[in-house]
Amino acid sequence: MGTQHVVTMLPGEGTGPEICEAVRLVIDASGVDIKWEYEEIGLDCLDKHGTLLPDKTVQAIARNKIALKGPTTTPVGTGHKSANVTLRKVFDLYANVRPAKLIPVLKRPWDKIDILNFRENTEDCYAAIEHMVSDEVAQCLKVITWPGSYRIAEFAFKWAKANGRKKIYCVHKANIMKMTDGLFLDAFREVAKKYPDIESGDIIVDNCCMQLVRNPAQFDCLVLPNLYGDILTDLCAGLVGGLGFAPGANVGDNCAIFEAVHGSAPKYAGLKKVNPSAVLVSGIMMLRWMKEEAAADRITKAMFAVLEERKHVTYDVGGTATTDEYAQAIVDKMHEKA
Amino acid sequence: MPTCTDIAKATKKKREIKLVGIDMYIITEKGIPKFDEIGAFKCEFISNRGTKVWPGFVSPDLLQVNWYRCRFMATKNVQDADVNTFLDALTKKGWWWSAAQKLWNYDGEPGFSKAY
Repeated sequence: MGTQHVVTMLPGEGTGPEICEAVRLVIDASGVDIKWEYEEIGLDCLDKHGTLLPDKTVQAIARNKIALKGPTTTPVGTGHKSANVTLRKVFDLYANVRPAKLIPVLKRPWDKIDILNFRENTEDCYAAIEHMVSDEVAQCLKVITWPGSYRIAEFAFKWAKANGRKKIYCVHKANIMKMTDGLFLDAFREVAKKYPDIESGDIIVDNCCMQLVRNPAQFDCLVLPNLYGDILTDLCAGLVGGLGFAPGANVGDNCAIFEAVHGSAPKYAGLKKVNPSAVLVSGIMMLRWMKEEAAADRITKAMFAVLEERKHVTYDVGGTATTDEYAQAIVDKMHEKA
Repeated sequence: MPTCTDIAKATKKKREIKLVGIDMYIITEKGIPKFDEIGAFKCEFISNRGTKVWPGFVSPDLLQVNWYRCRFMATKNVQDADVNTFLDALTKKGWWWSAAQKLWNYDGEPGFSKAY
């Protein structure tokens, strides 16, 4: 065993707790030494603590600087604010890293997709500045700042360089939103000059959507403002197998939270039938972030093998296994290979 | 035959509108502004890039730009003239501001988002 890591586990709500237990089972069996500290988040906290994000949870994440999070529910239209957005704001997790990579055993109409999305996570229309400016007009301020745009571009180029990526495109609508998206694009271009070894360019968001569904293999890394990033990262997830296999990381300068990007599926809560793969692949991302490459590789290989065999997979990929049985099959596969 | 626009316009409902505050967008290089009560308005919170920076804890790592949204809520029943007085007082105190957005309740419900 190497270094012991202390990770805050946020099981979330709905199916979150059962998914996170399955993921913990797999990660603990991978050989990595993690002390898990469980904390609460989400709507279930409201009755108990009067908030979606209790102070104790914030303090634990601030102390450990790394967390793995299950799904939480975001109310639509009215009600309480999103626990996810609050977390991003509190810890200034400005980079949402969303890889979209084909899982070999899941049949898709594409030969190759390996897109790394860098979504700006704190600005744009997500600044929570909305007003009913008259009784029939609502307005949302789209806030784009130079340092906010510059740092996500800098983060993306640094990540790309460290991971051998070759090409980064900035996705925007600066032909229409010349000030806001124009500023985002200007910052990207300024940063790109510092990385001459990485090919850079830009693409208008609507054209990017069309190109993604026609020929996704042409893309390597994308840098996007918050709203386009929210939408296009799900589009990319759909290209590679859906949200059930989509990992995500929210990263700031001093803290990183890894999470599934799908919802909490409350109607399936307690049934132990949902696929825990999205949280698991987020956990794999977390292990790589912690420099635990061997454990990450071990889990990835075992998960692919279990998916390939199709004997112990969940209903969404054509099987009948429970969440726990799928996780246990991955653990067994890791032991087989050891 | 009514057009779709006509049908949409016909759905307009009468709503009771009440002025309850002002969002002020202040530009400053001196960090998070501090305010005393100004006329009939008291500062409730300040946010930067949408994140609340006052009152309460703010991470020293949080990226802040020189543009703060300062929410002032009315401490009594106010009229538009009170906003003019407030803006005049704020300007005289030396605050440089880019915009002011009146905050209204519609049928008693806030027509503005809370801060994160």
